[in-house]
Amino acid sequence: MEKYDVVIVGGGSSGLAALKQLSNRGKQAILLESGGKVGSKSVSGGILYSKKPKKANVHNVEDVYENFLTDAPVERKITKYILHSTSKDKVFSMDLTSAHEYEANFGYSVLMNKLNKWFADQANESAQKYGGGIIPGVHVRDIKWDGDKTIIYTDELEEIQASAVIASDGVNSEIANITGARKKFSPSELYQGVKVVVKLPEDIINERFGVSSQDGAAHLFAGDVTLNHIGGGFVYTNKNTLSVGGVYHLDSLLENPVEPYEMINALLKNPMISEFVKDQVPVKKEIDKNLSKEEQIRIRFATTKLIKSWQETRDAVLSSSGRDRLIKSGKYASEDEIRTQLSSLQTQMADKYGVTLETDYVEVEYSAKLIPDGKRGRMKNPFIKNVLFTGDAAGRGIFIGPKIEGLNVGIDDAVRAANTIADALEKNNLSHDNLGKSYSNSLEESHYTKDMKEIDKDYLKIFLDTAKDIPRDILSSKYGMVIKLMSNDTLRNFSVGFANILGYEKLLPLVESEETYVKVPMELADRLGEKITSSYTMSIPSIATRIGKLNFSDDEMSHIKVIKPASDFMKKMVTLCPTRCYSIENDKVMIQHEGCIECGTCYEETDWKHTRGEKGITYQYG
Amino acid sequence: MLTPLNIAVIVKLEPDFSEGNVSYNPDGTLNRAETKNILGPHSALAASAAFYSKVRYGAHVSIGTMGPPNADLILQSAQQISDADETYLFSDRIFAGADTLGTAELLKAGIQKMQGKMDLVFSGHRASDGETGQVGPQTAWKLGFTFLGNVIDYEVDVEKRTVRAKRSIRLQGFHDIIEEVEAPLPVFIAIDPSYKSVFNTASQRLACEKYKKEANDRAQNFKQYLKVLNAEQLGADPKLIGLAGSPTIVFKVEKIPKGKAGRQAEVVDGSSKEEMGRVVARLRQALSTMVIK
Repeated sequence: MEKYDVVIVGGGSSGLAALKQLSNRGKQAILLESGGKVGSKSVSGGILYSKKPKKANVHNVEDVYENFLTDAPVERKITKYILHSTSKDKVFSMDLTSAHEYEANFGYSVLMNKLNKWFADQANESAQKYGGGIIPGVHVRDIKWDGDKTIIYTDELEEIQASAVIASDGVNSEIANITGARKKFSPSELYQGVKVVVKLPEDIINERFGVSSQDGAAHLFAGDVTLNHIGGGFVYTNKNTLSVGGVYHLDSLLENPVEPYEMINALLKNPMISEFVKDQVPVKKEIDKNLSKEEQIRIRFATTKLIKSWQETRDAVLSSSGRDRLIKSGKYASEDEIRTQLSSLQTQMADKYGVTLETDYVEVEYSAKLIPDGKRGRMKNPFIKNVLFTGDAAGRGIFIGPKIEGLNVGIDDAVRAANTIADALEKNNLSHDNLGKSYSNSLEESHYTKDMKEIDKDYLKIFLDTAKDIPRDILSSKYGMVIKLMSNDTLRNFSVGFANILGYEKLLPLVESEETYVKVPMELADRLGEKITSSYTMSIPSIATRIGKLNFSDDEMSHIKVIKPASDFMKKMVTLCPTRCYSIENDKVMIQHEGCIECGTCYEETDWKHTRGEKGITYQYG
Repeated sequence: MLTPLNIAVIVKLEPDFSEGNVSYNPDGTLNRAETKNILGPHSALAASAAFYSKVRYGAHVSIGTMGPPNADLILQSAQQISDADETYLFSDRIFAGADTLGTAELLKAGIQKMQGKMDLVFSGHRASDGETGQVGPQTAWKLGFTFLGNVIDYEVDVEKRTVRAKRSIRLQGFHDIIEEVEAPLPVFIAIDPSYKSVFNTASQRLACEKYKKEANDRAQNFKQYLKVLNAEQLGADPKLIGLAGSPTIVFKVEKIPKGKAGRQAEVVDGSSKEEMGRVVARLRQALSTMVIK
């Protein structure tokens, strides 16, 4: 049996950071990832933060990857952060940039597939120096202890022995489940996130969001866009795409089930978001049915080809790097020449094939993921024996009003887990007791753990300051009063101190309610908001079209087995599965696993496994 | 210290028969000008079999092909698959018109010119254009190597200098019989179309990832690894190669008459509800007539 110092399970941003950090410390580690390529199953909102907290320390992404700031394929640096309260066509906006920049070095918008590939290249190169590296296409199905041996079983490889294991296998951690390290998360500890990536040329993004090519904006939404669920929506600017998504409390969804498909549509239909995503989209003319079949096929192919080349030219001309690339390649002498070519292609499309340009929007990817709420669900002891859990697998996500963080937490955890193991290897003390205790202690020192446990009064002050201009009398009396009281420094410090002693978790039902997430924002929008109208009717793709755009490698075996086919929870999955994998027949819920995007919404009452190596979904954006 | 394995792969430039890439003349012959050329699918398998030895035994891999100057591109593809250390293009006008025997003679000369004494030579099962499948065995015969065809799996004992191979054979009408054989090196292996490299330990997979990356880097700079040799440089006997060395005489080529299609294809507009409804109705009808016994 082959033996490695450390085996890392899961090639998301956390697992990869663990691998890189172990290599930075000169230790041997291998990382097993079930996807055919690292990053293929990762989904994020997403913004990646780097923090500089005053009172506690954190390990940032740029500390792990020394060339992150110069080379990493991030999208845009978020310099504007705005919260919108919505009610029908009315929107009331508050600038939260100061809250976003609180204790932060930066926040970059990212697309996980691309970024994880870069992380993987860096980590792999370092790991190879110490006889380790990344092994994609391998699904870990079990871990067993035999005396002082830790044995890892996979679907694809012979057994592997390890001195220590880092489990970074995400929110639906199989390792946590198999080893009994924690119970499955309950719906009250989870959010369901749904996202679409929308294509939009770089120049249009810059102009529409008032940012330069490097900078970006983050827009958050509360109010009726969530269809009265606890949660919120977001629009983040990437280089030449937008991430449009929503994050909803799973409890709230179970209470009042609405399809994720409809949830994301409700966001898109909000007039402000509709205007954000709109673009010029070519529309084909119906092909004359009287023509011969061959001629119809010829026209169909020719039209598609012409549209494709128009699109490529347009994408290039509307982006700084695209223009440079075309001119450098010698294909065109100047920007004007490219524009001339673009309009000539447009004329050809119209004259030859009757293609018209209409205002609409272009979706390129639909995705979903579960997100753990660290305030409620984080593992108090994120280890079992010599297995250390990091990031989502340990339930460590931060949700505090508009403060949503996960990637940075997972990276910080990973560094702590890696350092714990590296120290233990150096001291030759790999006892389970030592590993678990050292890791737990290290996590307790993390700023992020504090964020999940306590209210930060300074952050609260910044947040309240942004709301100070709102006339108190217009807020629902209860919240108006609270805001008024909290705006007083002495009173706020006292009550935050008191709340932290009392236990922050106890206040959550009051802070996170339909009232705060839906009613108050709607009231604000109704009474102070500006009316926004959308200038077009968007054609929202059907669920089949959305799923059709995704890449799957189907496994003949289902990775999910329904345990309680007649339970209320499972019946709700018929509605809450983002890709409609569940149907109901004779009062029993059945699964059709093809098309499953492995979000784990149904995890609680199913025997849920990650797919076998190289099977299942492969995201292009993530 | 064990002597490392020395491996050669012979590959072939073939027309890309995949849909959308292949083009035919009105008389039914291949339109070579319009059809893209690629590394033949069987050749690609042979290259992947060599990659297996690279990962398992750290073998030194050389790839050779006979073809026109632009065939260097398929050597690039083959290098991408196999992480070859060296690639050879045997190119000369006088090679034109060679049949399988003339080709085998030239490849023998080519393999002997490659660096080091070969332990294993791989070829594909057959070409997808000529469908001959004779070049491999003939080259083996000319080299004087043991020939193993239809190989679906192999292991080398580097110390004992032997190869154990599994061959998929047909015997008196029985399919899928697997014969396991052992042979002393040097051996010539023609890879079966169903061959697939399997790496099932972590260290093999790590090596696989490492060599894949090296292969990518090498293929990007493939010209650095490429040697082009003509007839003179190969020192091949001019009477045995090219047209002169090819006893085959093509007497006549007949077009196979197109059989009457049993089924009629119909184009259906997938975006039209009525048309899709018609498809469903037809499927239903077809299913209802099926009798399940």
